[in-house]
Amino acid sequence: MPASAIEKQWNFVPPIAAFAINRRGDWIAAALGDGSLRLLPANEAGQPKEMKLHDGVSLSLVPDADDHAFLSGGDDGKLFIIDPALDAPTLLAEQKGKWIDHAAGTVNGFRAYAAGKNVYLLDAEGQEKFTAPIASSAGGLAFSPNGKRLAVSHYNGVSLFWTNAKEAAPTTLAWKGSHLGLLWHPDGKIILSGMQENSLHGWRLADMNEMQMQGYRSKVHSMGFTAKARYLATSGAEQTICWPFFGSGPWGKTPLMLGGSDGQLVTRVASHPKDELVAAGYDDGRIILAPLNGRMEMLIHPPVAKNGSGVTGLAWNGAGDCLFAALESGYLMLFTIESVRKSTLHA
Amino acid sequence: MEQIPVTVLTGYLGAGKTTLLNRILSEPHGKKYAVIVNEFGEIGIDNDLVVGADEEIFEMNNGCICCTVRGDLIRIISGLMKRARNFDGILIETTGLADPGPVAQTFFADADVAARAKLDSIVTVTDAKHLVARLADSKEAVEQIAFADVILLNKTDLVTQAARAKLAAVIRAINVHAKIVATERCHVPLKEVLGLGSFDLNHILAEDPDFLGSIEHRDRGHDHDHEHDSSIASVSLRMEKPIDPTKFENWMADLRANKGPDLLRYKGILDMAGANAKLAIQGVHMMMEGSDLAPWKAGEKRESRLVFIGRNLDEKTLRDGFAATCQ
Repeated sequence: MPASAIEKQWNFVPPIAAFAINRRGDWIAAALGDGSLRLLPANEAGQPKEMKLHDGVSLSLVPDADDHAFLSGGDDGKLFIIDPALDAPTLLAEQKGKWIDHAAGTVNGFRAYAAGKNVYLLDAEGQEKFTAPIASSAGGLAFSPNGKRLAVSHYNGVSLFWTNAKEAAPTTLAWKGSHLGLLWHPDGKIILSGMQENSLHGWRLADMNEMQMQGYRSKVHSMGFTAKARYLATSGAEQTICWPFFGSGPWGKTPLMLGGSDGQLVTRVASHPKDELVAAGYDDGRIILAPLNGRMEMLIHPPVAKNGSGVTGLAWNGAGDCLFAALESGYLMLFTIESVRKSTLHA
Repeated sequence: MEQIPVTVLTGYLGAGKTTLLNRILSEPHGKKYAVIVNEFGEIGIDNDLVVGADEEIFEMNNGCICCTVRGDLIRIISGLMKRARNFDGILIETTGLADPGPVAQTFFADADVAARAKLDSIVTVTDAKHLVARLADSKEAVEQIAFADVILLNKTDLVTQAARAKLAAVIRAINVHAKIVATERCHVPLKEVLGLGSFDLNHILAEDPDFLGSIEHRDRGHDHDHEHDSSIASVSLRMEKPIDPTKFENWMADLRANKGPDLLRYKGILDMAGANAKLAIQGVHMMMEGSDLAPWKAGEKRESRLVFIGRNLDEKTLRDGFAATCQ
């Protein structure tokens, strides 16, 4: 078994409930099972900064509208902004007795969160623009890349809201089943949702042409477009499944399938910000780097024998020279291009 | 990661679910529970971690026509598992009108939930004084009896000894397999309701060596004046000849495809031709799982036993179908 290419690791209170990198790509945040938070600069092996966050646990930790900060919604009904420059989080909204299951922030300063069967939109000043009831508890929330639209997934479809509208008047894209995590194409013209039925569904908004990607072994918990948005990399199978989005799009095409793992599942994917390269984390803790040009993938962290050590978070920093991985067992790991290169030389 | 045990408490409004819940929580067992409630009743719940949920029933487009899951439970159990593990089990109190089917199926159909949590048992609380009336006017009340592993015949102080025996017989006619415990104010030793492993295939044998053994004298044929008009009942089957695995598989596949929505629960211990070990199976609607158990002992009588609890079951068709699977 090859050694890990790890540069440094930190052992936190398990499990790492949620993990994110800010929009600028220079800070990472890990929300822990005891409700606290750890922040680390995303370009060095620095000392983590600690702060108390939820009386419970974070259910959704995401990059904030402020490109420096994070948003966290918790099972204590609180929505916090976390500015890495400050010593404590700032309370933005509260829904007493509810869980804030999802949160999102966008470029124009708008933020949204979902609690129960409602979605709340806040403007750049933090004032509530509207509250909209949804068909079921929200499965996911995502602003379009320019912030003009907000997508909310739910049972039997995805609802799209205009964020500059005075009142909530959603357009609902219908497709049977329970819709979960959402992702917009970087051009804002396609919205994709991961489904309870181990599949992906997508809509091209211009002509409402739909796409359905099946064959996954689990729910697709993690997906992202690769550099220049040529491929959509997805978790949920034994390999990293990459659907082509160039030319005429994914219709009728077979995906690239990267890596392989004797039965283990990919749980998280992270596309490199500049190169056509995907990092994939598995449910046994292994992490690989897979180039899309057909070259051999690299195992940068071997499987962990213990159960419950699946990769639950994976993110490149903005420069693309550091990869952070969070394991459910409480470990946060840093790999650098340098540490990976050294370990390949030794192998 | 160890799966956390989940106990589901069902029962009609006013039967005593919350009383049972509080009794479980207040006993000096040193354990902590997360409680999920689907309706807040008049009685408060004495626990640190209580999560309210709206019942959200999702149909799954997975080719299984009766496969429905509880979206709210998937969401809440996944959320609870993000916490540092500061509880030992989960108790779910459903509404008086809840169908236990989607609750049970959630633990089989959702891989994320199944990886972290396991259904321990379904406990149904009934009100001895009103049970007969409820069974007559509520299909949910009948389903809650049919799905149960344990049935508390509660408020027995309000009925006569004779009425109690009759109620037990009425329950048996629906669910031949559940354990019936007579209680007053849900006073029951916790070992009767928690940690039962009712959905654990190994447990089918280990805890209940006489599995279905006493079925014959629970025969529902000459049974009491049924005061409820239920189409839900149990059918118990037994066969001494070894089973042909292919024939059995085909028969069960066909049965699940055609009768899946009506098959509420089924369990069996089977003697498969050519196998040294006992095969245990169990199912809810179309979902079935099986596992080889301990080998047959030398001198042990090899036979197969199978029980179905379901709606509109035709006993003769089932009996003939099962008999035809012999080698």
